[in-house]
Amino acid sequence: MGTRTNVERRTVLKAAGISAVTLGVAATGCGGNDGTSADGNVTIRYSWWGAEERAKKINQSIALFEKKYPKIKVKTDFQDYPSFWEKFQTQAAGGNPPDVFQNAVGFLRKYDKRGVLLDLGSQIDAGNLSLDHFRAGVVKVGQVDGKQLGVPVGSNTMALVIDKKVYEKAGVDPTAGWTWDEYFKALKTIHDKTEVPGDTGYFSIMYLYDLYLRQNGKAFFTKDGLGFEQSDLTEWWTDGYGRVKAGIVTSPKVVAQDTPKSSLSAGHGASEFTWDNFTVRYTAEGTSDYGLAPIPTTDGKDTGQYLASLMLSGSARTKHPKEVAQFIDFMVHDPAVGKIMGYDRGILATTDQYDAFKPTDVVQKEIAQYEVDTAKAGVLGMITPHPSGADTAESAFLRIGGDMALGKTKVADAVKQFFSEAQAAFSA
Amino acid sequence: MGTAVTLVDDAPPDTRQTRSATPAAKKRRGRRENLAGYLFMSPWIAGFLLLTAGPMVASLYFAFTDYNLFNSPKWIGFDNFTRMFDDPRWQKSVEVTAKYVVIGTPLKLLLALGVAMLLAQSRRGQALYRAAFYAPSLIGASVSIGFVWRTLFSDGAVVDRTQSLFGSHVGGWVGDPDWILYSLVALTVWQFGAPMVIFLAGLKQVPRELYEAAAMDGAGPFRRFWNITLPMISPVLFFNVLLETIHSFQIFGSAYVVSNSQCGPADATLVYTCYLYQQGFKNAQMGFASAMAWMLLLAVALVTAVLFWSQKKWVHYEEDAR
Repeated sequence: MGTRTNVERRTVLKAAGISAVTLGVAATGCGGNDGTSADGNVTIRYSWWGAEERAKKINQSIALFEKKYPKIKVKTDFQDYPSFWEKFQTQAAGGNPPDVFQNAVGFLRKYDKRGVLLDLGSQIDAGNLSLDHFRAGVVKVGQVDGKQLGVPVGSNTMALVIDKKVYEKAGVDPTAGWTWDEYFKALKTIHDKTEVPGDTGYFSIMYLYDLYLRQNGKAFFTKDGLGFEQSDLTEWWTDGYGRVKAGIVTSPKVVAQDTPKSSLSAGHGASEFTWDNFTVRYTAEGTSDYGLAPIPTTDGKDTGQYLASLMLSGSARTKHPKEVAQFIDFMVHDPAVGKIMGYDRGILATTDQYDAFKPTDVVQKEIAQYEVDTAKAGVLGMITPHPSGADTAESAFLRIGGDMALGKTKVADAVKQFFSEAQAAFSA
Repeated sequence: MGTAVTLVDDAPPDTRQTRSATPAAKKRRGRRENLAGYLFMSPWIAGFLLLTAGPMVASLYFAFTDYNLFNSPKWIGFDNFTRMFDDPRWQKSVEVTAKYVVIGTPLKLLLALGVAMLLAQSRRGQALYRAAFYAPSLIGASVSIGFVWRTLFSDGAVVDRTQSLFGSHVGGWVGDPDWILYSLVALTVWQFGAPMVIFLAGLKQVPRELYEAAAMDGAGPFRRFWNITLPMISPVLFFNVLLETIHSFQIFGSAYVVSNSQCGPADATLVYTCYLYQQGFKNAQMGFASAMAWMLLLAVALVTAVLFWSQKKWVHYEEDAR
């Protein structure tokens, strides 16, 4: 009997030990830590999308921040664009998003609707974050329904990025106010003279179609849906398919194999509609010289362009809204940070940083000049609203546009498919 | 759990204990040993309950709800399931997966059996050959091999150039919706090592005297294969068919990596799990994705049931022969 009791006691002890260990693991795993340590130090998590190059610059900037605010530690992580949003969505759903993160206009309503974004208004009122000294028209990009959900770090605008060498060889010289007819003629000239397709696939780029629609009094999105009809898109895609067939637009087969590189920097197309600051990336990726050309117009003047921007947002669930605000404030206003970051995330948003950074290389100078010229030309309008689900609609537009151009789906079916997927995205 | 009990029951009688033990004491001792058994298993049980069973029950519930990760799930009955049949991309994913399973699995098993028969004969350097053929099975599922594959089958790369030598120019399989799936088939066939090893074990079990007797009776190599080898290894063949079929239904990694996470072009590599992933984690349609997962489970269960039913007709166990 005695032995038996002992065994049982030992067993019980063992069981207790195991449960203690398990509980311990569970406790650490659940993140009971709110980022404040005993000595009053605060840790905030900062996530962004980008590549190694951006990571280096951001880490240098954070070092400056931590020097100025020795009680705040910043923990970082980054992924490429699609992985970033997949991870973010999962973290946000689990109630554990990063305290502060890189954001873009297409995600504001989506995550506002889901209660994820911190309205920075009260922090601005409390004096922890300043909206002074921003370049004209930039701050508005981060506002939705009167709430400041993001603070822009840099502004960018859609542009036509061209392979200068190919354009020169073909003798094509784009001028401000050129029309779509002139643009498509130029593509043919380029293809005839250099055998390079003139464009890498304009018809499946949501932000370009938006400009075209804006030139015609519409827009891609309204506040809660699509701003155009099936017939509009049918025409746009039918023409696009015809131009792929004619060889003046890069075959989607080639585009698929070039990804994640752009077909422009891979030398399989002479121009691409994208954000002006992407020229920096293409110059690093490709072997040619890349420059910026004006967006073609419908009426000879209006390009439909507007300023968009990358921004920093805070999490509504952060336990340190003050520190988050201080961090954002420092990152957008500190001149030294501006010097480090350059135009990596667009033309610096505040005059504090814009004046501090003087680009020395041709590419960044040209981007700055492009935005100055665009602003001067008086073509910049208000940004198109982005409904919740805009991000999903954008990637569906790209994918279905590509399928259509491969000839695998009839244009009419592709248009229907896009409208149905977009509706599902808005109502999700 | 069953194991713990059997172990106690099958244990040789402990003479010291049995001499004095009453039935009640025996029972108590058994219970105590059971407790110890459960304790040792508790890490596994906890893992199973928390990481497998719990999420499965949750996903069964989500399958009948509208759930985007942020809202509280709303019960919608069978809507997610009926929606599948109206969804052209879901139909496409079923078609792509079926094609992959039906083409890839038999090819892989044929190659595995063929090579196993070559390797079953005693040769010099046999161990080396076996290791060499098995190696792709070990590394084939890795992401880096996916990247290698993507490069091999690109425009102007090795495969494309070799093919061009024979007068057929595709311009890269990975960019072509008519070809890219076959690069995935090639990738799975290349990993024939695992079923090959199982076939080898099966082939070694076939008694040599059967072949000698058949040869004496004048049976040629084909007759010997058809009438001796195939029936004798049919249990092993059944096992391989079952395993590989179930396995190929679940293809994800290679499709995801080779298509550069697009499962394209033109949805040509939109395998079932890839669409499930896109719906669940990109579009946050977690209810629909859960329903898809249960649909896949049902489909695999059905195919497995059919295979088990069919084995009566073609699988011979040695006990039957006696």
